[in-house]
Amino acid sequence: MEVIFVLIGISLVMAGGFLWLFFKAMKGGQFDDQHTPAIRILFDQKTKSKANKKPPKKKK
Amino acid sequence: MEEMPVRIEKSKIVSCFHCGEGCEDELLVRDEKNFCCTGCLTVYEVLNENNLCDYYDIEVTPGTNLKEQEIRDNRFDYLDDEDVINKLIDFRDEEQTHVTFTIPMIHCASCIWLLENLYKLDPGVTFSRVDFIKKKVQIKFSSKETSLKSIVKLLSRIGYEPRINLSDLGEERGLKSDKKLIYQLAVAGFCFGNMMFFSLPEYFSETELLGNGFNHLFNYLNILLALPVVFYSATDYFRSAWLAVRNRSVNMDVPIALGIISLFTYSLFEIFVTGQEGYLDTLGGLLFFLLVGKYYQQKTFDTLSFDRDYKAYFPIAITKMVKDREVVIPLTKLDVGDIVKVRNEELVPADSLLLDAKASIDYSFVTGEAIPVPVKKGELIYAGGRQKGGAIKLAVQKSPSQGYLTDLWNHDAFSKEEQKDSLASLANQISGKFTFTVLFIAFGALIYWGFSDVSIGVKAFTSVLIITCPCALAMSTPFTLGNVMRIFGKGGFYLKNTQVIEKLAGIDSLVFDKTGTLTAPSKAKVSYQGENLSEVSKRMIKALVNYSVHPLSNSINQWLGNIDPVLLHEVEEIPGKGLQAKYKSKTISLGSALFLGVGPTDNAGNMGNEVHLVIDGMYWGVFRIASSIREGIEKMVPDLANSYEVHLLSGDHNHEEQYLKKALGENVSMHFQQSPKSKLAHIRNMQEDRKRVLMVGDGLNDAGALKASEVGIAVTDNISHFSPASDGILDGGKLNHLPDYLDFAKTGRKIIKASFGLSFTYNAVGIFFAVQGLVSPVLCAILMPASSISVVLFTTIATNFQAYRKGLNDKEMILWK
Amino acid sequence: MSGTTLEKFSYDNKIVKFFGAATMIWGLAGMLIGLLAATQLFLPEANLGNPYTTFGRIRPLHTNAVIFAFVGNAIFAGVYYSMPRLLKAPMWNKTLSWIHFWGWQAIILSAVITLPLGLTSSKEYAELEWPIDIAIAVIWVAFGANMIGTLIKRREKHMYVAIWFYLASFVTVAVLHIFNSLALPVSFMKSYSAYAGVQDALVQWWYGHNAVAFFLTTPFLGLMYYYLPKAANRPVFSYKLSIVHFWSLIFLYIWAGPHHLLYTALPEWAQVLGVAFSIMLLAPSWGGMVNGLLTLRGAWDKVRVDPVLKFMVVAVTAYGMATFEGPLLSIKSVNAIAHYTDWIVAHVHIGGLGWNGFLTFSMLYWLWPRMWRTKLFSVKLANTHFWLGTLGILFYALPMYVAALTQSLMWKEFADTGRLAYPNFLETVIQIVPMYMLRAFGGLLYLAGAILMVYNLVKTAAAGSFLEEEEDEAPALAKHVEEKNEFWHRAWERKPVFFTILATVAILIGGIVEIIPTILVKSNVPTISSVQPYTPLELQGRDLYIANGCVGCHSQMIRPFRFETERYGEYSKAGEYVYDRPFLWGSKRTGPDLHRVGGKYPDSWHYHHMVDPRSMSPGSLMPPYPWMTTNIMDHSNIGAKIRTMQKLGVPYEEGYDERALEDLQSQAKKIAGNLKESGIEVLPDTEIVALISYLQRLGTDIKKGGSGNE
Repeated sequence: MEVIFVLIGISLVMAGGFLWLFFKAMKGGQFDDQHTPAIRILFDQKTKSKANKKPPKKKK
Repeated sequence: MEEMPVRIEKSKIVSCFHCGEGCEDELLVRDEKNFCCTGCLTVYEVLNENNLCDYYDIEVTPGTNLKEQEIRDNRFDYLDDEDVINKLIDFRDEEQTHVTFTIPMIHCASCIWLLENLYKLDPGVTFSRVDFIKKKVQIKFSSKETSLKSIVKLLSRIGYEPRINLSDLGEERGLKSDKKLIYQLAVAGFCFGNMMFFSLPEYFSETELLGNGFNHLFNYLNILLALPVVFYSATDYFRSAWLAVRNRSVNMDVPIALGIISLFTYSLFEIFVTGQEGYLDTLGGLLFFLLVGKYYQQKTFDTLSFDRDYKAYFPIAITKMVKDREVVIPLTKLDVGDIVKVRNEELVPADSLLLDAKASIDYSFVTGEAIPVPVKKGELIYAGGRQKGGAIKLAVQKSPSQGYLTDLWNHDAFSKEEQKDSLASLANQISGKFTFTVLFIAFGALIYWGFSDVSIGVKAFTSVLIITCPCALAMSTPFTLGNVMRIFGKGGFYLKNTQVIEKLAGIDSLVFDKTGTLTAPSKAKVSYQGENLSEVSKRMIKALVNYSVHPLSNSINQWLGNIDPVLLHEVEEIPGKGLQAKYKSKTISLGSALFLGVGPTDNAGNMGNEVHLVIDGMYWGVFRIASSIREGIEKMVPDLANSYEVHLLSGDHNHEEQYLKKALGENVSMHFQQSPKSKLAHIRNMQEDRKRVLMVGDGLNDAGALKASEVGIAVTDNISHFSPASDGILDGGKLNHLPDYLDFAKTGRKIIKASFGLSFTYNAVGIFFAVQGLVSPVLCAILMPASSISVVLFTTIATNFQAYRKGLNDKEMILWK
Repeated sequence: MSGTTLEKFSYDNKIVKFFGAATMIWGLAGMLIGLLAATQLFLPEANLGNPYTTFGRIRPLHTNAVIFAFVGNAIFAGVYYSMPRLLKAPMWNKTLSWIHFWGWQAIILSAVITLPLGLTSSKEYAELEWPIDIAIAVIWVAFGANMIGTLIKRREKHMYVAIWFYLASFVTVAVLHIFNSLALPVSFMKSYSAYAGVQDALVQWWYGHNAVAFFLTTPFLGLMYYYLPKAANRPVFSYKLSIVHFWSLIFLYIWAGPHHLLYTALPEWAQVLGVAFSIMLLAPSWGGMVNGLLTLRGAWDKVRVDPVLKFMVVAVTAYGMATFEGPLLSIKSVNAIAHYTDWIVAHVHIGGLGWNGFLTFSMLYWLWPRMWRTKLFSVKLANTHFWLGTLGILFYALPMYVAALTQSLMWKEFADTGRLAYPNFLETVIQIVPMYMLRAFGGLLYLAGAILMVYNLVKTAAAGSFLEEEEDEAPALAKHVEEKNEFWHRAWERKPVFFTILATVAILIGGIVEIIPTILVKSNVPTISSVQPYTPLELQGRDLYIANGCVGCHSQMIRPFRFETERYGEYSKAGEYVYDRPFLWGSKRTGPDLHRVGGKYPDSWHYHHMVDPRSMSPGSLMPPYPWMTTNIMDHSNIGAKIRTMQKLGVPYEEGYDERALEDLQSQAKKIAGNLKESGIEVLPDTEIVALISYLQRLGTDIKKGGSGNE
């Protein structure tokens, strides 16, 4: 059952990696605002540029 | 092309496209959309030009009403001032400047959308991000293309004026400490989780199934993981325990620190010496749950911080005279030698000399004495005084200190003596003794078991230390009262501090002031009877009334409309009687019948007080001001009357007595023609026969009575105008909720008592088991924080539930939002 | 500094179109193969009488097609559409995107070729052979690099929770795939697993479960957090809950592997670790479901009318049901009933058809009209697909539950004589044939719904005009220093995250190369002295067993229950599997357990049974293998196989690889002789001889008491 060493090793490394990511995110200010991002994704940009608005004439 | 505002009849009130409110008094139509005021219309035009009209289809009528927006355009001049900018902005280099504004008006998705598309309105802006919960927007703009002032102007033009508060510039970044706690919590959680894995086999299977190498591997891994928990996550507890011990006192953290140390050392002993598995996972669990409890407590205290930062009351912008041109500067910019103009009701910002002939300063802020003190030219006026009457000019003698002005409200001249049986003091006494008894019992248990079995001894010792939790005692009072205060705050009833709630619970008799409290000044109906007034006499009355702050003169002032006053001299206001002044040769006086020696006129029957007008001794006529009672009062006062002793004190004559008797019911004892002094005396003798009095007044002329009564509540219509002598400020519109607030305060007391009982039984049971070593440390590591959290939860939920049942706060409780 | 002005850029929809089309094509193919497999289970003739379409090889083809082709492409389509819009930056590098697309389709094609040919490593959900494993790793890293590159160039500082889910899936699947595919190649299309027996089982199911976790759940949660709010046009219920849900899910999921091996030869404390973990998993999973469903608070009237939301609601509910059923199944006493039965198949398909399938359908129904800037061709058709799909799931799952309980209780039942009530395994199989038919009908409904969808979307595309590049504009993320005192740290941090990822991957690989061999060599000390390595002929028979996917229906693990030892014999010990590379414990008993079949039937029985199973046991569902009696097996690479096994630590004597061929031929002649006595003429180097040698050896080492292979 020595493979357990390997599995525990990998899992600890990965868990440690995720902990480091958590700290980095904390410092990078990812969690400062815990409400507005959910609303922000709803504003898909209705830019008035021509390409988006009127479809080009039908191909083929 | 903008159509003229068209008059509309009452029935067909259409709602404004921008802010959704009814367009009663004017209706502007543009691209067949209707707007209630020029403010809303201008916002719509601005957005329309920059094709930002999606603003209106994300949310329905997202704007805020801009009717009473101040139109003084030099309001933002002080933002050009260099070191104000340095104070306000977060970061600046030659291209980029970052600033974070608090904008209370943010309330919906459209606001977020508009504020994040600022770059379309002002190309100088490069980046803007909104934090919805904190109602803050962070804006980055290039210093060359635009300035802080133009951005603030733009924001206020589109209805999102930032609340700039020079007083909270010094507010240190609270966030830093919060982050440290989260780091500690994350480390404790991570290590506790992993330690549980490596200790799991111990719980479930006989050790020999583990096979040779794993047993030790898991123990050493546990130690490895316990190190960061003890030496990083627990540092705060060690530091505060060490501070307490150093100055020979004991606080809650001492037993906890002791528990952690003993658990850690004993586990090391067990692993290295006897080869057993030790209690490291308990240690991890203990710290994890402790920090979770601390985090939760910190978050609740943040939300409970007094909503109304009373620092904001003091006028921020002072009008400074520069060669008789008015310039608006921030308070902090004022320095010795400046000449300052202080208008009626505004505070004198700093100790200064009077330049005008005469002024009457009301020092109720500083000393609590309500009677205005007359000051002659050249005399010193102290900071915190309030000018009564017309505008005066002052020369500043001492540079103003914002700190001095801010804590005037909690100045001991106003604070009432500490209530003997108040629950907060009870909790402090108990928790002091509590920790000593716990330590005593813990060491007792250790010694008792020491003889027969050391391991159970240590176990009992640690579990007694850990399982007992005084925090319930310490936390339940502030949490409940804090929560009650927060609910009151949401309902427009702001209290000075939590003791006021306890005093409210003990009230048994109520005293109401009539003018301004039970009656709403804004809705007074004014009518004039007598010779018709010429233009000149109207302007004379306007000037005269302008000087006084009395509700009656305010109503007449409003009735006269905005005609420009004439220059009067020798203006004199006799409190409680009337006003007198000279204009060219004529003397004009306005006041009560008694003051002018006019006989009672024939209208004794109907409602309203009279203000008589005499010019040059010739009787002109009488203003009849019928003040209407606020709605909901007719129902409230009779209910109160049958459970409390209700008194009504009023400064004017008793001709409204029958009307009031009919409206407010029979068993209200009414006293009229009460001067501020006689009101104070009335309160005093009520207190003699051991009555606990709640005085509800408008805080203007009855400051002394408010101060004397157990609890003094000032009723105002615009919150920013208040009297320091009161213990609480109640919004005019919410007065009819007073009975709910009173018995809600009583329920608050009952909840606290219940939580004391809960925590006491918990501790007794806990110690009973812990002493016998029956409770494993893991269990008490979970029980202890659970107990404090359960007490806090109990109090919060109980208060919210009661509030909900009483209809005080209608929003349902969402824990997660 | 130009970085702060407004920048215009555009999102590439072409790649999304291609991945979406691939999803639909492979979805139909995968479901069709699934339907074929379902029919084969009650109609042996449906195996079409050739090795390439027998159930053994069709089942892995179905699982790989549906998981990696259908769900894989759906994830990539969803990510390539949502990630640029969330980060306000186009994908980092277009060519990398196309390498990823064509590379992934090539991998799928290679699977479609190798699996029917029987070139498989037999490890569930990782059946593909080692060269394809390497290709998967390369393409997966390309996908990850593309994502991280976009991340660095993003214009939106805050990373929405969906991005976190995408990144976590990438990182974890990369590590899992590398570790589980560690094998020593024998030839181009043959390799032996680096782990043996119990350890191979643990690593496989540590990977197996997390393939489900990080390939079928976390990326789809990311898609849910983007597409559900978008479709309902309402913010997610609580963004704070989604953050907590993410971190707790990530942390817990890694550890839940062992719940696939309850009551097997895995040490008991490892099993308990798996159980504890799987039960804790309920909290974060339901956190996600609650967050999804409550987002629709106040928008339920939209759900009645909009098919996209209907699909999403059923998808999230199915996710909730499947993740409730999971922890339930991992409780040991429940697992004792459910393991090896159709309950597991039902659990898999509620998650697969309900959560993955329906969420993919709703995403496609939402994406296609937007990308072609037109209305959906027919909402009525979409609704019919919805009802067909839902009925399909019910017709699939309910019969499976009934079949599982019937069969499992029949296995357990003891007559009052103290003997098994149903000693013959076949009685339990015949009992549930009608349920298999209903299940096939359910599959048919689901497939029909999917076909309607493809038709609907094709017509939608025809009606609209494709928007190749969608314009957008946003100010660049200010690159300069935020706070002064953090300068050195910020400078270090701005160095692309990419290099740090490369560094960690390098460390991991370095670690593997050193740790693994040392541990594995030391570990295969036989705990049971009588257990000997396989003889060369038995090894060839075992490879044939693997090639034909017999592990798909037969398990080789007898659990320590009285009803199993009574039916099969002594329960299986960990020591017996030390030379099994790869382990063949299996996860479903459509046929009986074979771990003690050695010596139970004469060679001739096996011969006739393989040629026509119904001749030996009437009513059996087993497909016939007549070609085994004539196909000649190429034994030339037996030397290379023995050498590889020796390298992996199997104790063959030194230089045995030269003599292996003669041993093989002598054992083959002996078996051919036995068959001759009972009147069966067969050449010694045919497949059937090798298979019979392997089957007769299974589980006999314990009984023989050490004489083993004389």
